[in-house]
Amino acid sequence: MIKVSIIGSGNVGANSAFFIAENRSASVTLVDIREGLPKGKALDLSEAGPIRGYDTSILGAGSIEEIHGSDIVVIAAGRVRNAAETRNDLYRDNAVLMNEICEDIKRLAPDSVIINIVEPVDRITLLVQKLLAFDRKKVLGIGGLLSSTRIRYLVSKALSVSAREVTGIVVGPHMPCMVILRDTVRVSGIPAEKLLPKDSFEAIIHEVRRAGDTILHLAEKSTSFYAPSAAVAALVEAVARDTGAILPVSFRLQGEYGLHDIAVSVPASIGAGGVNHILEIQMNASEKEEFQNAVAELRASMEDAAEAVEGEGGKPHA
Amino acid sequence: MQPKRLKGKEENRMPRKKVSIIGAGQVGATAAYYIAEKIIADIVMVDVIEGLTRAKALDFLHAGPMRRYDVSIEGTSDYSCIEGSDVVVITAGVPRKPGMDRMDLLKVNAGIVKTASKNIGIYAPNSTVIVVSNPLDVMCHVAFRTTGFAVRRVVGMAGILDSTRFRFFVAEELGYAPTDVHAMVLGGHGDQMVPLPRFTTVAGIPVPQLMEPQTIERLVDRTRNGGAEIVAHLKTGSAYFAPAASVAEMVEAIVTDRKTLAPCAAFLRGEYGIENLFIGVPVLLGKNGIERIVELELDDSEMKLLHKSADAVRKGVQELDSFFRLN
Repeated sequence: MIKVSIIGSGNVGANSAFFIAENRSASVTLVDIREGLPKGKALDLSEAGPIRGYDTSILGAGSIEEIHGSDIVVIAAGRVRNAAETRNDLYRDNAVLMNEICEDIKRLAPDSVIINIVEPVDRITLLVQKLLAFDRKKVLGIGGLLSSTRIRYLVSKALSVSAREVTGIVVGPHMPCMVILRDTVRVSGIPAEKLLPKDSFEAIIHEVRRAGDTILHLAEKSTSFYAPSAAVAALVEAVARDTGAILPVSFRLQGEYGLHDIAVSVPASIGAGGVNHILEIQMNASEKEEFQNAVAELRASMEDAAEAVEGEGGKPHA
Repeated sequence: MQPKRLKGKEENRMPRKKVSIIGAGQVGATAAYYIAEKIIADIVMVDVIEGLTRAKALDFLHAGPMRRYDVSIEGTSDYSCIEGSDVVVITAGVPRKPGMDRMDLLKVNAGIVKTASKNIGIYAPNSTVIVVSNPLDVMCHVAFRTTGFAVRRVVGMAGILDSTRFRFFVAEELGYAPTDVHAMVLGGHGDQMVPLPRFTTVAGIPVPQLMEPQTIERLVDRTRNGGAEIVAHLKTGSAYFAPAASVAEMVEAIVTDRKTLAPCAAFLRGEYGIENLFIGVPVLLGKNGIERIVELELDDSEMKLLHKSADAVRKGVQELDSFFRLN
């Protein structure tokens, strides 16, 4: 059975383990620097198995050594953003942590596919890929996939239709300037724009851009973690079962969409080796412009953060 | 010893849902199996061949402990057992045999569907009827007229089957996961279907962006002949897994009020410029049956194809009318 290790046993880590177990797609090892936490959560999850009908192994480990031989490593460590700080503060703190984690992954799971959920996700995904010096197709970040599931839900709710048949692709940086590809937002193949009043579609798009904040405000001290965990489980499933599923993931681009040395979300077919290939979607002129502006905004934020920590890692790998 | 039910107000109990299937042949029985696996309703199969129906129901029940469904499944020839059904599926009918012409098939199946519909009207007057018997669009008229049900409560299984075949072929061609492909088709069932490639997508990306027009055309042709391709392999039978899965999808949408948008045969009263005819269009399925008919903006060639398809169905209905006049 495929082995997935999850570094970080907070809400995203533990709920990812939960969704992966329910999919029965892999065995899970939860790791955290707080030794009791992963052990307690793994035991709790295992004890739910007889009722929920899963019997895959779920282990909690206090030592990073337990990720040894993993096929997939999910990085869910680091801290989340608090309302008062900038993304650069968050980047600096989490980047330091990535140095250490990537050393361990390189040593213990050198052939693994990486799924990163640490924020700011595009920058950390690029950093992790550089630090690990893994083939870029094996280092994926959760970004567009999370926004996609959000727009799919919001459209299904606005139309009172089942969310199962709703599609939607969100590309670009995982920031409010993300690009929602309107033509891909469809219900059983029918464009949602044709089914929804215009202002209601615009309101949904606005809501998707700020979805993380909405949950932060509603849940007060808690950030969103169910939808991010579902996104992790979807990627694990695609890799573990080699499905070729098309999911928008953050990933280091080398020429695709005209971009180099930056990670942003684009739709990709995901299989056993990570990204099978990228789908280059036709964008209209305004979407192209929106995409370029969004990427420029991400780049600007990268330049003003002293991303010196990057230099300490391995060489970039094409 | 039977345990006694604790006393309490009976009206406060949540009733279990019930689905009846008329005709326990391959499509009917396999649909029962898929529905059982969904654990959404108790199931009754009705067939004139009582022993076979009972045997299939028992066989399904025996598999339950392993397959983890615990719904009740009953096989019977007694129509009164469908009483209180939320959904009734009519799969009864004969396949076309060598030497039978279209009219012969239509007559035989119209008689069978009429009998089933009469009984549905008597025993399950509040149900939604899903028609599966062929020729599909014409049999929908038989069920609609005989039951006297509201238009939203008679729906035909056709487009959803053509669409799942098309989805599979697109996924296979491109090497993607079939669940990522969505497709919309309109019109009559099978060779009269009107495929809509621009409303067929992979994860929301329209297939004309991903495939050459010739490739799409080839897959459309294969879909049109999807049923015939299977008959050619089987020689003495026809497809039943994909048709049964299509039935189960529709049943689930209605029983669990899922609000699924899928192509199904619905009675049109002016939508798409078509009057008083059952034909495949996108509909929203929920607890009230057909809750909405979605009218797509079609281009001229798509509209022409749809009307051509409608003409063929209308011809079948006229044949049906002449038959009913004789009886």
